[in-house]
Amino acid sequence: MNGKIEYWVKIPIGPIHPALEEPEKFIITLDGERIINVDVKLGYNLRGLEWIAIRRNWIQVLYLAERICGICSFSHNHTYARAVEEMAGIEVPERAEYIRVIIGELERIHSHLLNLGVVAHTIGYDTVLHLSWLARERVMDILEDIGGNRVNYAGNMIGGVRRDIKDRHKRAILDMIQYYRQEVMPKVEEIFLYDPTVEARLRDSGVIPKRIAIEYSAQGPTARGSGIKKDVRYNEKLGVYPDLGVKPVTPKEFTGVVKGDVFDRMVVRVGEIWNSMEIIERALDQMPEGKIKAFPKDNLILVKLKKAEGEGIGRYEAPRGELIHYVRAEKGKDGPAKWKMREPTFPNLFAVARALVGEQLADVPVAIASIDPCLSCTDRVAVIDANTGKRRILTEVDLLKESIKKTKEINPNIKARPERIGIGRCML
Amino acid sequence: MNLLYATLGLIALYIYVSFASLLWEGIDRKLVARMQRRVGPPLLQPFYDFLKLMSKESIIPKHANKFYELAPVLALAVSIALLAYTPMGFAPLFATKGDVIVFIYLLTLIGFIRVLGAISSGSPYAQIGAQREMIILVSREVPMMLALFTILWRLNNIGVEKPFSLAAFYQRNIWELGTPLALIGTFILLVVFLAWLASEIEVGFFDIPEAETEVAEGPMAEYSGRHLALFELSNAIKMFVSASLVVAIFFPWGISAYVGLNGILALVVDVLFHTIKVFAVLFVSMSIFRAITGRLRITQAVQVFWLRLFPAAIIGSLILAIDLLGVIA
Repeated sequence: MNGKIEYWVKIPIGPIHPALEEPEKFIITLDGERIINVDVKLGYNLRGLEWIAIRRNWIQVLYLAERICGICSFSHNHTYARAVEEMAGIEVPERAEYIRVIIGELERIHSHLLNLGVVAHTIGYDTVLHLSWLARERVMDILEDIGGNRVNYAGNMIGGVRRDIKDRHKRAILDMIQYYRQEVMPKVEEIFLYDPTVEARLRDSGVIPKRIAIEYSAQGPTARGSGIKKDVRYNEKLGVYPDLGVKPVTPKEFTGVVKGDVFDRMVVRVGEIWNSMEIIERALDQMPEGKIKAFPKDNLILVKLKKAEGEGIGRYEAPRGELIHYVRAEKGKDGPAKWKMREPTFPNLFAVARALVGEQLADVPVAIASIDPCLSCTDRVAVIDANTGKRRILTEVDLLKESIKKTKEINPNIKARPERIGIGRCML
Repeated sequence: MNLLYATLGLIALYIYVSFASLLWEGIDRKLVARMQRRVGPPLLQPFYDFLKLMSKESIIPKHANKFYELAPVLALAVSIALLAYTPMGFAPLFATKGDVIVFIYLLTLIGFIRVLGAISSGSPYAQIGAQREMIILVSREVPMMLALFTILWRLNNIGVEKPFSLAAFYQRNIWELGTPLALIGTFILLVVFLAWLASEIEVGFFDIPEAETEVAEGPMAEYSGRHLALFELSNAIKMFVSASLVVAIFFPWGISAYVGLNGILALVVDVLFHTIKVFAVLFVSMSIFRAITGRLRITQAVQVFWLRLFPAAIIGSLILAIDLLGVIA
């Protein structure tokens, strides 16, 4: 080793690292095994969604919103649909609200089971990963049955939902809940509340005290793990949720103490799975008959929204935390004039980076995984060339030209002209 | 000693142990996969991995020094040398008085070479991994050495041909003392040894230096191709050798004497039986341990060694000593 001797070493966790599912970068300054500084770099996953959205119509953005993130795909288009409904003053049928609740809570179960597995994997406990992901298959099967897909089940439509929950689904869901109650949850509780390895690793690591959670505006299980009773479904009396016994779960109900560490966040997730199952049961019980869409045909929505003007905000508690979508409409425009979303990962990431200072290197992956980071949601800004400082905008035709050039290099026989493809004028 | 016999024996052992240890890795992966409700890789996957790695390009970092390329070769050489002192169902090839010291030193040397190779690679992950390996190295050897020397000292007292040698385990065995106190003491030391074995092959609690999700395989972070293949092989051999030590101390019984074989056939049967015992020990200490535990922090692992296993080793040793002195019984 040549050069000046330093007593600290900088370790880059990311952009590509086995502990991370998505590209993000944490530059960690270490003194031995102790962390003395954490620097977060984001922006490796830019997709320019807002830019794409203002070129599409209202309904097409619904599908774009779904593809922001694969795990909380229902939450995003639910929030977007709420924003549009508020903007245009569309009444949603009650049955549709109930179906939204049921699919949303099913999604919460699968998202939390996924995260429990991921956290176990980051502490090297792969058995838990495999078993919790095995348990997760069951709820994904149900979602596939309802929506047609395991991941992007496209449930929402502006002013309602696209698919009804039939008696067949109802029976399947009740079976599934019984299976989770009897087979899965006792094991999950045993592991995440009482297992010595899990307790040794998760207790007192990545502690986010209540004050810091408020300062950094932490969301979702991260905030509730620190003892803040913050849940949009509960605080905002969202939709039909007040009738269904939704409550913000804090670790106090399970362990009696609130420390705000990784363990508490996991306890919150376990508690929320229980809570979600109760909500689903009640929703299935109370669900009224009736129509599931405010508009019988989709083009009627577009006609109504073309006349609309103003702005709307949709809020929803995604599995990771509070989602806010903002839309603004201009008269005579098919799609949103402005679409902006705010995801829970962004504040949570900085809260956890702050919490990591003073901990050990071994805690970094597990603390990051414990907030369930979703970088696809978070990265979304700016096109600036770092080398020249110039801003360059590629138009759709430019991109198509590039793509065709590349294709021709591979296969010279392809004949194509750079022209717009897809539906209407709004496709990229 | 006949030099030709020793050399041929060492080569034969090397070939056999390479196959057996890689085979065990395949079995282990399959067993753990079944415990986790997975299908798992084919049984011969470690062989495929090894052959593929051997045929691949080895990338050497720009800032690596010469020791980076030397370390895998040295590690494998040391593990082969270790085979000459390993009890394999019969007394070791080079059994002499006090060869247990050489054995422990060679076993530690493999870890030390890994650390040197990691530091030579210049990768920050490898350096963190090397730090962790050193810390855990100095922690794990103490309880194990205490337990090993206690047992050897106790065997010495009932009379063996070569004191403090690994061959002594095949003349007398620790269970034949028979008194209840000795059984308790031996059992405590067995637990210490199983924990030491888990740490030596870095599974479960003690998968700290190579923590994949934390430091990206730690000391192995920069190794690729042939160099990695040599390290993998030397690790596999080390795993087999460490388990052989536990088998030799606690389960030294052969099978050939009961069946009434002698000569070369008895040797082969003993080696095969020894391999089965090694697999059984590794099943407890590796597969089950890997399936039911996660990784600890380095500080917690050090605490496990110094605050749990070291006192356990002391208590076990004291019980054995009390048994010899006859204070109570």
